[in-house]
Amino acid sequence: MRIKAAVVLVGVGLLLAGRPVVAHHAFSAEFDAQKPVKLTGAVTRVEWTNPHAWIYIDAKDETGKVANWGFELASPNGLMRSGWRRTTLKAGDMVTIEGSGAKNGSNNASAQSVVMASTGQKLFSGANPTQ
Amino acid sequence: MKRSFAVMVSAAIMAALAPSLAAQWDLRPQAGVPKSSDGKVNLAAPAPRQADGKADLAGIWMRSEGTEKPGGAPAGQPPLGVFGNIGANLKGGLPFQPWAAELSKKRIANQRYDNPDALCLPQGPMQFHLDPQPREIIHLPRKTLIVHESNYMIRTIYTDGRRLPPLGEPQPYWHGYSVGRWDGDTLVVESNNFRGVQGGNPGDGWFDGNGSPFTDALQLTERFRRVNFGNLHIDVTINDPKAYTRPFTVRVEQVIVADGSEMIEFICHENQQFLKLTGRQ
Repeated sequence: MRIKAAVVLVGVGLLLAGRPVVAHHAFSAEFDAQKPVKLTGAVTRVEWTNPHAWIYIDAKDETGKVANWGFELASPNGLMRSGWRRTTLKAGDMVTIEGSGAKNGSNNASAQSVVMASTGQKLFSGANPTQ
Repeated sequence: MKRSFAVMVSAAIMAALAPSLAAQWDLRPQAGVPKSSDGKVNLAAPAPRQADGKADLAGIWMRSEGTEKPGGAPAGQPPLGVFGNIGANLKGGLPFQPWAAELSKKRIANQRYDNPDALCLPQGPMQFHLDPQPREIIHLPRKTLIVHESNYMIRTIYTDGRRLPPLGEPQPYWHGYSVGRWDGDTLVVESNNFRGVQGGNPGDGWFDGNGSPFTDALQLTERFRRVNFGNLHIDVTINDPKAYTRPFTVRVEQVIVADGSEMIEFICHENQQFLKLTGRQ
């Protein structure tokens, strides 16, 4: 019964959120789940590349200073199976991204959710810290 | 029964997702895919056969998302292997030799930095079977190929009757050296000559995300059986006396991809940031 319940729950989750997008790399080697990052800014560049896609945004910190941040997503093949294309995000799009910061302190993070600021549309969930 | 149910639900989820994927993919539906009266793929239809009558394992396969509890495998069936820990469902865990247990602990404590998957190197044989990215089985007259989308790797299984080479000849391979023969409808694949932990690369000899090691003494026996149109079972027996105190068997379950979608190119070194972000480049 537990298996049934678990699988059904996972199934509902999949149907609601699209297929899970899997991290290629060991999450904990690069990112710290205890360092949450939430930033809003304009997309400056999209790298639709393997083993992970990256998006870069110009975001203001709490002092108002603008910095360029890189966010690691899942791999393009996983993103495509979730219904996305390399043209889904374009330079200039305003997005809010939540994720986990890089352990090395650089302006990089692993994205867990990307939301279009103008519409509130949730674009994708990225890497999964549990993988 | 529980696992069968889990697999069925998992397959149903994949089938249910097909319409949403269909709206966004340039799908190329194949001929000969059995359909139910409602037009959906009939995963429970009989397994197809090759022209010569042998079972046909060809197709694109995704790992099943079925789960079970440790020690909870149905009677007479091997426990399910898990991508992160192939021994997760083995009662008592993996039968490590002491040094192998220590190495696994060290690899985990080291943040799995040297996982070959993370380094864009070929994964270990169980990582390939259990990776969430698909793989395609292709039968050719003298060999069967498994093309893995993960790290875009090809594994060759010779089916022309040759025997396994002596250990170390021609050289240890990341994928090992594999020969296959049919036992009824089961393709039995035996492999040796793996690059184990002695290979010299820290990414050598990883069975799973925990870095459960294997050595150059590894002998792998895999029994591939297509249960029906939609499901493939692979029972993998691991015999590596240098790393494990006894042979053990785990099962891999995979589900067919029959919506007409294809493998996607995955060139791992294209934009590899892992080494930079972990301070090694």
